Amino acid sequence: MATQHSRAAARLMISPAVVVLLLWMIVPLALTLYFSTLRYNLLMPGANPFVGLENYRYFFTDPAFTTALVNTLLLVGGVLVITVGGGIALALLLDQEMFGQGIVRLLVIAPFFVMPTVSALVWKNMFMDPVNGLFGYIARAFGAQPFEWLTAAPLFSIILIVSWQWLPFATLILLTAIQSLSSEQLEAAEMDGAGFGSKFLWIILPHLARAITVVILIQTIFLLSIFAEILVTTGGGPGVASTNLTYLVYIQSLLQFDVGLGSAGGVVAIVLANIVAIFLMRMIGKNLDA
Amino acid sequence: MGRIVLNGVRKAFGEVEVIPPLDLTIEDGEFVVFVGPSGCGKSTLLRLIAGLEDVTGGEISIDGRDATELPPAKRGLAMVFQSYALYPHMSVRKNIAFPMRMAGLPEGEQKRRIEAAAKALNLTDYLDRRPGQLSGGQRQRVAIGRAIVREPSAFLFDEPLSNLDAALRVGMRMEIGELHKSLATTMVYVTHDQVEAMTMADKIVVLRAGRIEQVGTPLELYRTPHNLFVAGFIGSPTMNLIGGAEAERHGARTIGVRPEHIASGSPDGAPWVGTVGLSEHLGSDTFLYVHGTGLAETVTVRADGEVPLRHGDRVGLTPNPDRIHRFDAEGSRL
Repeated sequence: MATQHSRAAARLMISPAVVVLLLWMIVPLALTLYFSTLRYNLLMPGANPFVGLENYRYFFTDPAFTTALVNTLLLVGGVLVITVGGGIALALLLDQEMFGQGIVRLLVIAPFFVMPTVSALVWKNMFMDPVNGLFGYIARAFGAQPFEWLTAAPLFSIILIVSWQWLPFATLILLTAIQSLSSEQLEAAEMDGAGFGSKFLWIILPHLARAITVVILIQTIFLLSIFAEILVTTGGGPGVASTNLTYLVYIQSLLQFDVGLGSAGGVVAIVLANIVAIFLMRMIGKNLDA
Repeated sequence: MGRIVLNGVRKAFGEVEVIPPLDLTIEDGEFVVFVGPSGCGKSTLLRLIAGLEDVTGGEISIDGRDATELPPAKRGLAMVFQSYALYPHMSVRKNIAFPMRMAGLPEGEQKRRIEAAAKALNLTDYLDRRPGQLSGGQRQRVAIGRAIVREPSAFLFDEPLSNLDAALRVGMRMEIGELHKSLATTMVYVTHDQVEAMTMADKIVVLRAGRIEQVGTPLELYRTPHNLFVAGFIGSPTMNLIGGAEAERHGARTIGVRPEHIASGSPDGAPWVGTVGLSEHLGSDTFLYVHGTGLAETVTVRADGEVPLRHGDRVGLTPNPDRIHRFDAEGSRL
């Protein structure tokens, strides 16, 4: 019975939680916005005067900014393409009846449990290192010159590493989606004369549309803020070849001790994330409606 | 063009043999119903004919052609599934067009067949809707439409009406019956509902545990059930099966009398006299459940709709002597 009184009481009861959540979110955001308008460099203690949008002007005119922006989008896009494509392929394979199914599924999911710094270091030293790495060893076995992954193709290397981490997530979600497809639909398609290609294109892929949407949305949120993998492998370099927005903010606020500029970068990153989110929701969000 | 012959067809899942070797001929243009309790292998048998399951042994030939190894699409059969199995992201039109598109039919021909099927099935107004926006009966019709446009040599129905409510079921039963009359194509229909089997079939195949118990027209099964299982399965309410001394008096282990072949009347001079337990008044008929007749079993009697008998009344029962079925110890008809 939701009377006037009980509803008022309910609001009163949940208000502490709401207030805490609100503070939790609003205070850091407000402080970031505030700092971004100050000249606030830790190397120059003293007064922190209000300078308006000066920090933003510096951030936008920074020669690294455009590269970082493009890198961010390339990183997100590249990882999405690889994980969604690879995830669908792996999910289709794992859906087959086979010997040792349980163990294989467990192994496929395992990379997700490896923390980003560790997996990036493993890739850097054990695979991509031209002297000690497995790829270099393979190249030498064929008599070829080892490819210097992290210097010759730094951004692509990071895309590979991050894709490896996120592939299990995509696979897992897409696998459960494939398993929820009614077998009668596939049988009906088979009776209707659809081969594997047609079945995939007309029955399985449309069925997966919603799961793919979820994978893209969730991954985008996390991929926009990739940081640890860059820090432990390329350090954003060579130059700024593998610097994304998150890393640029780190360079400016922590390496240059410029809190004001870093905050401005953070706000720009928030705005960018929201722009990407709006585009994504426009493009594929309609798949989420039943 | 739709003659299906099963020759020694056998199916085993691992160690479990669900269908022991079985022979069956389905003539061209026949409406054949597989009926049996759940788990009797009737759906498996249908899926073997469709090609969705591989036979473990034996041969299937369709139109005189060996189809045992043919993939489902090459057998020229169309199937309607219990869940309809419509493609949820396609409009009704695209659903119906799908098999033709897969077969690479020209656009014009596709369009013509869709229009014809939609008209025959009253779907013209719904062609641009999605399956999710249709009622159960309409979805059923779309599934049938998708089967019709392929112009198959035989239709296979896997319990197509079990998801519909009772009133719709009667309506769809008639529509499928009329469809069969107008197309004159072989239809194989699986159901567990003996009323559907009796009303629709040209030929009923009664299955139990993968074995064919009897094959015949509905009336043959009704008049001369070959064994106790068929006797008990066909007919509603079910036949009274009576054992003991009364059966021995007729020289059998068990005798069977259908409720409609027992006359109820005054207790004087009747062979069985008992007390009415439950009486079900349906208007057109009254079903009386009579006990205390000296027989071990409660006797079901179908009486006139307005019979004045009530709970606790004494009643005399006279079975029609020509309609008593006699069965031996193995349950076979004598």
